[in-house]
Amino acid sequence: MKRCLIVDDSRVVRKVAGRIIRDLKFEIAEAGDGAQALDHCREQMPEAVLLDWNMPVMNGLDFLRALRRQEGGEAPVVVFCSTENDSEHIGEAIRSGANDFIMKPFDADIIESKFAEVGLI
Amino acid sequence: MQDATFDELADLAMQRSGQFIPKSKSYLIEARLSAIARREGFGSMDDLVHTLKARGNAVFAAEVAAALVSKETWFFRDRHALTQAVQEVLPARLKASNTGRLKVWCAGGATGQEAYSLAIMLADNLPVALRGARIDILSTDICKSVTEHARKAQYGHFDIQRGLSIHRVLAHFKRQETGQWEALETLRNAVSFRQHNLMEDASGLGQHDVILCRHVLSGMARPVRGVVAERLAKQLAPGGVLLLGEGESLTGLTKALEPARNVRGGWVVEGTANAAAA
Repeated sequence: MKRCLIVDDSRVVRKVAGRIIRDLKFEIAEAGDGAQALDHCREQMPEAVLLDWNMPVMNGLDFLRALRRQEGGEAPVVVFCSTENDSEHIGEAIRSGANDFIMKPFDADIIESKFAEVGLI
Repeated sequence: MQDATFDELADLAMQRSGQFIPKSKSYLIEARLSAIARREGFGSMDDLVHTLKARGNAVFAAEVAAALVSKETWFFRDRHALTQAVQEVLPARLKASNTGRLKVWCAGGATGQEAYSLAIMLADNLPVALRGARIDILSTDICKSVTEHARKAQYGHFDIQRGLSIHRVLAHFKRQETGQWEALETLRNAVSFRQHNLMEDASGLGQHDVILCRHVLSGMARPVRGVVAERLAKQLAPGGVLLLGEGESLTGLTKALEPARNVRGGWVVEGTANAAAA
């Protein structure tokens, strides 16, 4: 089973996204900020990461840049998921190594179609 | 909703748009007619049917029947089937027709996502074999307001993200002040739209090399499917291919078409399957 790490400082968002992605047959792990997420990836690199932008301690963009510099860190498919959805922010995320970008709010259809688009399902 | 109301609306849908709405799905009626009911100020479906019968207004009846047809669609629905259409079927048709021109019809195209998906694929990854070809894409729907919506090419937050990568959203659409995403002019110009009821004669729409009619027949009553398929068959150019949705089949419904060789979900005019290359 593929693993998906959900990184968001909102417990509610993690829960909602987790339920949707579990239905897509992923094993779910959660992190509340970028630093926790990085720790998790050092232990066990997931196949997919759903990533929020604004978080305490370490934000999504800094996490993504750090992840891509790590050994094996180029492998996970990273889908940004943020309310910061003007084209500057989106462009920045893509240039920093995100595979796709979901504009919040999202629903099950959006996550499923984005995961299909990036080849996860 | 009273039983008599359900019966009236189910009959109307059957007669005018061939739709089969079983009683177990009467919620579909409420969902699909809610916008009309709100606009016209009807408090209930019973009121709507009462007026429908009292007025005897054919235009209003047609509008109600059109609204009762599913508008469910999204960008790149059945991605593999669309890829097959663009990468294999269209090049094969172009080679066979020798005119440098291809006509594609999305029959029952609702708000246009399928037609725009094809146009996006042709813009982003045009197969070498299609270079220089003129490709006309037509999308039709029974519903006037839906056809207008498709032509405007404005999609909301959820629709624009359903099936499109962010790369494609940014490459082909522009966000409006309203928050809607509007297709760029180049994309809008690649597709044309017409209102058309598939139950009616389609000769005015011309002959097409490829007709996509996906997840449309499955909403119709069985006998109607055969009739509609035969109308579509008449609009196929010689050697043309009809592409149905995943899980849809014409077996036992019509003798006018037979499964195409080498094209999954593809149907060709009876007796030509061996000639149709893919």
